[in-house]
Amino acid sequence: MENITLPHLLEHPLQVCLFRNVENATFLRQQLLDGNTKFEYAFLDASVLLSRKHVLAACFRAINDMLNDRLKSRNVHSEIVFSLSPNNNISESFRRFGITNESINVLAIKVGGDAAQIESHLTANVKGQPAVFSDEVLAEVCDLSRIKKIYRVDVGTKSDGEAARKEAEAFVLGSMALKGS
Amino acid sequence: MTSHPPAEGLKVHVLPAPFDPANVTLITQGAEALLYRTTFLAPSTPAALKVRPQKPWRHPTLDKRLTRQRILAEARVLVKCRKEGVPVPGVLGLDWEAGWVVMEWVEGWSVKEAVRGWEKREGARQSEQERGGYEIEGLLRRIGEAVGRLHKAGVVHGDLTTSNMMLRPLGSGGAGQAEESGAGSLEGEVVLIDFGLATQATQEEERAVDLYVLERAFGSTHPRSEGRFGVVLEAYGESYKGAKATLKRLEDVRMRGRKKNSKDYPPAVLLLTDLEGTVAPWPDECDSRTMHDREEKRRVPACLQPYQKAESYTGAGSNPYPPHAK
Amino acid sequence: MPIALGLESSANKLGVGIILHTSESHGPSTPPSPHDSAHSDDERPASHSKTTSPPVQILANLRHTFHSPPGTGFLPKDTAAHHRQWVVRLVKQAMKQANVRVDDIDCICYTKGPGMGAPLASAALAARMLSQLWDKPLIGVNHCVGHIEMGRSITGADNPVVLYVSGGNTQVIAYSAQRYRIFGEALDIAVGNCLDRFARVLNISNDPAPGYNIEQLAKSGKVLLDLPYAVKGMDVSFSGILARVEELGHRLQQGLEWKDAESGADITEADLCFTLQETVFAMLVEITERAMAHVGASQVLIVGGVGCNERLQEMMGLMASERGGSVYATDERFCIDNGIMIAHAGLLAHGMGFKTPIEESTFTQRFRTDEVLINWRD
Repeated sequence: MENITLPHLLEHPLQVCLFRNVENATFLRQQLLDGNTKFEYAFLDASVLLSRKHVLAACFRAINDMLNDRLKSRNVHSEIVFSLSPNNNISESFRRFGITNESINVLAIKVGGDAAQIESHLTANVKGQPAVFSDEVLAEVCDLSRIKKIYRVDVGTKSDGEAARKEAEAFVLGSMALKGS
Repeated sequence: MTSHPPAEGLKVHVLPAPFDPANVTLITQGAEALLYRTTFLAPSTPAALKVRPQKPWRHPTLDKRLTRQRILAEARVLVKCRKEGVPVPGVLGLDWEAGWVVMEWVEGWSVKEAVRGWEKREGARQSEQERGGYEIEGLLRRIGEAVGRLHKAGVVHGDLTTSNMMLRPLGSGGAGQAEESGAGSLEGEVVLIDFGLATQATQEEERAVDLYVLERAFGSTHPRSEGRFGVVLEAYGESYKGAKATLKRLEDVRMRGRKKNSKDYPPAVLLLTDLEGTVAPWPDECDSRTMHDREEKRRVPACLQPYQKAESYTGAGSNPYPPHAK
Repeated sequence: MPIALGLESSANKLGVGIILHTSESHGPSTPPSPHDSAHSDDERPASHSKTTSPPVQILANLRHTFHSPPGTGFLPKDTAAHHRQWVVRLVKQAMKQANVRVDDIDCICYTKGPGMGAPLASAALAARMLSQLWDKPLIGVNHCVGHIEMGRSITGADNPVVLYVSGGNTQVIAYSAQRYRIFGEALDIAVGNCLDRFARVLNISNDPAPGYNIEQLAKSGKVLLDLPYAVKGMDVSFSGILARVEELGHRLQQGLEWKDAESGADITEADLCFTLQETVFAMLVEITERAMAHVGASQVLIVGGVGCNERLQEMMGLMASERGGSVYATDERFCIDNGIMIAHAGLLAHGMGFKTPIEESTFTQRFRTDEVLINWRD
């Protein structure tokens, strides 16, 4: 698990943990649907995550909107999922970016809270292998064709490498920033 | 990145949350916006924070509306440019209610600095043979291509000057390595910045005026290299399908400007760079007898598009009546 | 010490002024300018900028205004007739009040333009007549330059960015290399024209001025309605705003129920006046600020009839103070068209040897501020 402090949001550290080969996505998703307060996380389907910045930009926006009392969804965690979306359709954003019953690679994010507690709770409840939350690992697990379809942007193919991804990332971040305008 | 350094006596503005003065450095303070250097999303990622501060003289409702409109217009143009492959800083974060936008930091130096540096080096060279000007022509060509790509994307910058273009050292993804090749080098990718006056415009006239503004800015900022500006236009002409037609239109725009200049009349587009260094020449005498027949307004009418055509002088409280009524 | 008589008739005001330029503080070869033009305005400390004795003395400043009935604008023909009818009387009265003889006068100054043709003709004709009758040189003066020079002289603003706002003109001006350069302007109608024409829709009185009456009404306005906001770079446009606010005026006159969505209060004439002022003045302050930022100025001078508006002055003051500067404005004696400013600017030009030969003593509806060589400034 990684503890990330975003510049300018020192009061709101993030606990982030990437899991590969998750076997109990259905269970995790059910906890969210049931509103189980012990599972206040943003569970993202890692196959639609382009890069670390992609994820962190969504976190920044969600926290900033929370601080300004502008949340469009239930809480800051669901807002992170919604913030990834290029449009205003909340349920669609959950379907696209949130954990689904079929999710295999899952990114869990918690805003605030006690790092040790979160880590033990996550490792106890997520049946998967913890992995490093890095651009390289995300590149391995992401599904470029889905990202291309969601953001309507040319992301190239895996062989096109970093330059194409960076170009795509700039546009994706811009689309997310403009959402709701 | 552009405009003047913050002058003394200017009010120190309060940063919108969550930004803190401790984590940002003011770069420039213009009339509209403040530009800071900061980091975003990661402590190692440099970023440019542009803030449009509240204007206390404006009615708060109006102020909010304008700030929102303008910050969004700029962000939309940048995002569109990034999608179309125009070299501009991408948008990393945005809050139109609070009036800020965070953009990618562009490493390097301005084209203005690069050209001035080159002119200085060139001037110091002894022999005619050494002076070739080939290196600068490469840069001018890249400028033409960059503007061409911008126009192809349906965006007009509105304030194209050599200070609003950066030279980003090739292969500089992150910070720090820019210094190596030396500030003022002519190498690097041309990146367009400061889209505060940009519009999404598809009309040939608007593109032509954009080029004309650049041409005049280039001439007054770099008088010694003015003669080479043709290289910019040449490269521009090859850059997209409608470029040739825009260049043709540029001739009309120029004619309108020159017609006025030749009569000792102020330039068709008043450029701020005129006041910075070289002041456009003014006549000693001005014959006002010849003035009354000039029906045209000072500006080229591209910017008139959304407006009504200029009306003749009507005076206070009267209906329009024909000019030159005796 | 030179004395000039000035005649102004570019719109519905006929003005006659007599000015004296005192020259004690100047050497014989220095132009009799209230501003010590031997020094650069940029570098001169403020304390050094004014001489102890008043450099200009206003001997007479008379004005007679042609008022058209509410709901109408003044027509050139009627206005010109008014000016012709009053010009001799006003000149006589001014001479009497100033206690000067014909021999004391050095030159006759008149407004050459810009302005409305027929009214301009009245003063041009009168000036020619006086020039020939008394054998005095004629000086054709640019109306806008008259406003600027008078404003500088009265307020002591050294090198300000000038906002010139009236019924016929809207310009943001800064001095550079012996010209008053126009940085921004209205691309269609002038701001004062926009206000005046709106006053007609609501049948607001033209006495003393429609803009003044709008200003008074606006003071009790509370609701800001949506109007277009048309700033492009340093230029502005008012025709779209006028069209929209006229629509709102007509809607109000229909007397149907119309309430503010937020407060539930009825929309009133005052709200419309308030909305119009807040919107157009915000535009003017914005382009002025942009010009100030570009030339690095902190002073701003407001001249022209609309410059009397205290709300505009207040907004401009807030802006200027943020930039570490201040706003300079004059009262209605000098803001509103007057003869003294023509006499003043004419005398400055006269001091530099400028004359308008009788055969060139024309007038013109279009006469741009930046056409005039300002050779009395450095």
